Amino acid sequence: MALLTLEGISKRYRQGEVEVQALHAIDLTVAEGEFAALVGPSGSGKTTLLNIIGGLDAPSSGQVRLDATELTALSEAALSDFRLFQLGFVFQAYNLVPVLSALENVELVMVLQGRSDHERRARAEHYLELVGLKALMHRRPAALSGGQQQRVAVARALAAGPRLVLADEPTANLDSENAEALLDSMYHLAREERITFLFSTHDPRVMARAERIITLRDGQIVSDQRPHAAATA
Amino acid sequence: MSIPTTAAAPLQRLALLLFIAWRNLWRNPARSALTISALVGGLIVVILYASLLEGMMRQMVRYATEVTTGHLQIHRQAYIDDRDLYATLPSDYLAHIEHDLPTLHVAPRLYAAALASSATTSVGALIEAVDPVREPAVTTMLSHLRRGEASLGLSASTSSAASRYNVIVGAQLAKNMGVAPGDELVLVTQAADGSIGNDLYRVAAVLKPLEPNFDRMGVLMSIEAYRQLMSLESGFHELAIKLDDIGTLATDQQQLVDELAALQRQQPLDTLGGEAVVRNWQQLTPAVADMLQLSRSMLIILGFIVVGLASLGMLNTMLMAVHERSHEFGILLAIGMKRRWLLLMVMWESLLLALVAALLGSLLGLPLAHYLATHGIDFSASMPDGYDWGGIVFEPVMRGYLEPSQVVQACVLTLLVSLLASLLPAWHTARLKPAEVLR
Ligand SMILES: Nc1ncnc2c1ncn2[C@@H]1O[C@H](COP(=O)(O)OP(=O)(O)O)[C@@H](O)[C@H]1O
Ligand SMILES: [Mg+2]
Repeated sequence: MALLTLEGISKRYRQGEVEVQALHAIDLTVAEGEFAALVGPSGSGKTTLLNIIGGLDAPSSGQVRLDATELTALSEAALSDFRLFQLGFVFQAYNLVPVLSALENVELVMVLQGRSDHERRARAEHYLELVGLKALMHRRPAALSGGQQQRVAVARALAAGPRLVLADEPTANLDSENAEALLDSMYHLAREERITFLFSTHDPRVMARAERIITLRDGQIVSDQRPHAAATA
Repeated sequence: MSIPTTAAAPLQRLALLLFIAWRNLWRNPARSALTISALVGGLIVVILYASLLEGMMRQMVRYATEVTTGHLQIHRQAYIDDRDLYATLPSDYLAHIEHDLPTLHVAPRLYAAALASSATTSVGALIEAVDPVREPAVTTMLSHLRRGEASLGLSASTSSAASRYNVIVGAQLAKNMGVAPGDELVLVTQAADGSIGNDLYRVAAVLKPLEPNFDRMGVLMSIEAYRQLMSLESGFHELAIKLDDIGTLATDQQQLVDELAALQRQQPLDTLGGEAVVRNWQQLTPAVADMLQLSRSMLIILGFIVVGLASLGMLNTMLMAVHERSHEFGILLAIGMKRRWLLLMVMWESLLLALVAALLGSLLGLPLAHYLATHGIDFSASMPDGYDWGGIVFEPVMRGYLEPSQVVQACVLTLLVSLLASLLPAWHTARLKPAEVLR
């Protein structure tokens, strides 16, 4: 059964006189537990699509459903709650609050969720350990490398206990070694916690880790492939 | 899927926002320090201004009450209206009031217009007769001497052999007439019985400037001397009253009114002189009371202007800060931060800036205000007699008065204005579109 369902998602941007059609009637379903990559050249609509799925942007037409929840029908406040409890986000860079330590950054979302002190601390340490950063958890972002910062962002997304994690080019600012390390972390967490991941990339090595590759071009899905599972097992 | 929510969650959220705001405050320490300095400077200006103004106002009240007026005065209505020489309060009234209301200090007075002549010149004079024993318990008028000694008794030795009553004259009058302590002057007046009253007096002392009219025309003498000159055997024009505590002014005034009503029943007054009327210092010196009110309003306006200007710096800082952090705020909104929490965070930050400024401002302003209160600003080199402003004479040393509640009010004003200034950046923050700022 599908966790995420997109039906006829279109997005038009108006830039002065010109209208840009960023997405053309996208239909897509993502099942629970999938580790899927959204690939395509720059400008193909990856960010736009992820923002619409995350409720950060509204589609011009079409519907987004997570389980039974119709996102396009939610109020601003309900969307905010939806993101807080159901979604995790990892962006390209500068995901963290600079004045908070790695640990505090991970705990932040859980404070907003209203989890207890004790639970927060335990979960934060657990996920920081899983991404290999427990030893550095008292450092602020400025004292962490780009790759470490991205791993903290992944730990933060997962510690909130989301159903779906959206990552928009999470490795774009990383060298290949760090990029692979981040993907490894994400993949293991996805398997261990049975969390659904949808991430965008245009890095072939990152694509190679995905179980499913959805290719966008000019706002349309041009291919949707499942390379054999052996490659990532 | 359900996430347990603890009862303390909203508080923890508030604490978290406060925590982030506090950390953000020190993100750009130089900018925060500059912003805080501007607020601290403004606050200190307000505190010092308030302290000087309060000092001046207290001096005004003191002058209005201690030097000549007292806290309350009793007259006959006809004396108030026409300075009617015959509109006197019976002498018994003084004794009754002193007996029935022992906490009040009462000084009787009499007045008359006269012509004062020295060897060289004649000028118009205003005679004020006081009781040399009671007067010092009510006012300090007899101690504000520039030269000579405060004696209103009979002087044994004068150039013309016979003993003379001493008088004390106003500074300007002494100058205009060319008289100094030890000199003689003649007073000519129309006595109560219609005859011409005149006598020779000895100047015992010259007063410091107290009140412009009195300064120019005043001649102080004893009530005994007055009765001889004026052939007025009894009664007083004025009873000046001092309270131990000005805080009980309203109740004491009412008691006096009741007492006078009772006295008038026992011993009815002649109808010509009218009722006995009690007035407090604010009624007696409305110019002073109005000036106090005006000064307070000016203080509030000045406070708003100074603190408002200083908080423009804060407005600028916070606008810059939220602009720089729009990406960060976009991330926070994306991960589920509510707009109103973000708004609260920005307001917390402004409030913290203002709190730090209020703390530092009071810490620095209090000792400065204390210095002004204890040492004051000394103008005596250029103005040895003080200065006269709107009929009120100020001492040459301008002293502040430290009223702690004013410091608290200045701090509250700073916090309020800062909070007001934080609304704009907070509003900017709350309108961020995460999809746009995260691109
Ligand atoms: N706010 C916007 N206003 C106008 N055009 C936009 C806006 N955001 C994106 N676009 C356009 O939409 C298209 C898809 O952009 P985007 O989703 O960012 O692609 P990708 O993430 O794959 O690089 C591009 O042509 C881009 O120029
Ligand atoms: Mg993009």
